[in-house]
Amino acid sequence: MTEATNRGAHSTRYGVDSSQAARATASLSAALPSLEVDDIPQQGNPVISFDRVSKVYPAQPNRPALDNVSLQIYPGEFVFLVGHSGSGKSTLVRLIIRELKPSSGTITIANEDLGSMRNWRVPYLRRNIGCVFQDFKLLPNKTVFENVSFALEVIGKNRNVIRTQVPEVLRLVGLQDKLDKLPDQLSGGEAQRVSIARAIVNRPPLLVCDEPTGNLDPQTSRGIMDLLERINRTGTTVLVATHDREMVDNMRRRVIALDRGHLTRDQQRGVYGFDA
Amino acid sequence: MRSLAYFFKQSLQGFARNPSTTLGSIITIFLSLFIIGVFLVGALVVDNIVKSVESEVSITAYVKDDATDAQIKEAQAYISGLDGVSQVTFTTKEQALENFRNMSSNAAIVDELGGNPLPASINVELSDPQQVQTVATQIEQSDSFAQIADEANPADSLKYGQRTVEKLFSVTNYLRYIGIALIVLLVFIALVFINNTIRLAIMARRKEIAIMRLVGASNGFIRGPFLMEGALHAIIGAILAIGCIELLRNLVLPRLQTSLTFLPIELGVNTFLYIYLVLLLAGLVIGLLGSAFAMRRYLKV
Repeated sequence: MTEATNRGAHSTRYGVDSSQAARATASLSAALPSLEVDDIPQQGNPVISFDRVSKVYPAQPNRPALDNVSLQIYPGEFVFLVGHSGSGKSTLVRLIIRELKPSSGTITIANEDLGSMRNWRVPYLRRNIGCVFQDFKLLPNKTVFENVSFALEVIGKNRNVIRTQVPEVLRLVGLQDKLDKLPDQLSGGEAQRVSIARAIVNRPPLLVCDEPTGNLDPQTSRGIMDLLERINRTGTTVLVATHDREMVDNMRRRVIALDRGHLTRDQQRGVYGFDA
Repeated sequence: MRSLAYFFKQSLQGFARNPSTTLGSIITIFLSLFIIGVFLVGALVVDNIVKSVESEVSITAYVKDDATDAQIKEAQAYISGLDGVSQVTFTTKEQALENFRNMSSNAAIVDELGGNPLPASINVELSDPQQVQTVATQIEQSDSFAQIADEANPADSLKYGQRTVEKLFSVTNYLRYIGIALIVLLVFIALVFINNTIRLAIMARRKEIAIMRLVGASNGFIRGPFLMEGALHAIIGAILAIGCIELLRNLVLPRLQTSLTFLPIELGVNTFLYIYLVLLLAGLVIGLLGSAFAMRRYLKV
């Protein structure tokens, strides 16, 4: 049964008919045991709102990276963004932090329209969005403590805030014993925890992760996901772009699927739904 | 205030990272400011000389050889009657030759001349230096002088401070153009050097900058260290230039004054302070501009 629906999903992957894929994955998620996950009510103003957003890179004018994508993510949600390489996940993440501007459509983050936002306001937007990447982006010549405190230093936080907040957040991610280690003395999972600590040390309401477990082994990935889930439970909205099938299927959270720039599925308690 | 300290720390790290290019940009700033300073001092000295020549208040009116005594007496009387004239004397051809013989280091040359080529002249001393131009024009336009003027045009027979000043100017103008061209060139080189140094500093901190952007450091905070670095290069260069000029002032200027006693080349301490201030500000402008260029090109925020 599972295998058959997977094959069905596979056959539609290159077709335009996304509803068939949606149906196939819906039946797949029905086949999997449902886990106990608290439903997050979708209420209030959305944290992230995409309204018919398209992004075309100049290098590939005929193949939009995102094509007419509309979605809303509400405060407190935990959302997976899934899709194959090149489906537009990273583009979507970079649009959220306004590293890119959309070719058309409107993006609203916390009631602020990114299209009309002045350039000098962008840093203040980013202070409210924590970012985690596959390659950690840690500074090799700084210790764990310094890497995290750097994020507070450069936004002008004073020394007292740094002294109290940094050890606290490192305890939260389970690295209270490694404050003085350099990044190359850490394992991949530990390094990713540091980068998560850096992302949340300023207590942003939104945490965006682009392939956070991309080069970690499954067990370590599980630990990272637990951490993200714990962060989510404190009220932080979490958006995780991933192609880690096991993770998505295990956690049964809201899943938004992208396929070659098209939004093909948006489902509560969804599964990964593509072939590996 | 805290971030200023941070910028300072970061820019010092930039020094340690690229000592050779840092040294290069400091030296080019130093050289251009030094030359600007030397030219400023030179211009002020020339200005002083010009002023002293201008204040030489005598007018010499050359008289042609076949002027009669009566005509000369008439002109003298006319000139004595003018406003601002204190004394009028007459120098004969023979006296002029004698004066020349005394002034010239090689007296024998006078004897080689054969005849006496020097004209007689009426020397006019003025009581008020401001009047020199008006008195000169009055003499120039008077009929009594026109009859005995050495040259066909009476204006050419008059010699007074203004003329010397004009000649001086034509020489100093050339020097000024050369100086300006040199300064423009050096400032340009200094800008290129600073641009390059700051670019290297930006490259070296690429990763850090990417993370700063990610966590929402404001644009000013990201740019601060690089502006500070450019400004520090400039200030160090300016201090070196000021030190060198100060050295020249104390060692070379006194010697010049003793060997060129007839030229008034002494400048006040205030003038030098003013020059140093100008150099410091010029350096700052060069430094900040250079790093601003680099940031525009290599640091899109």
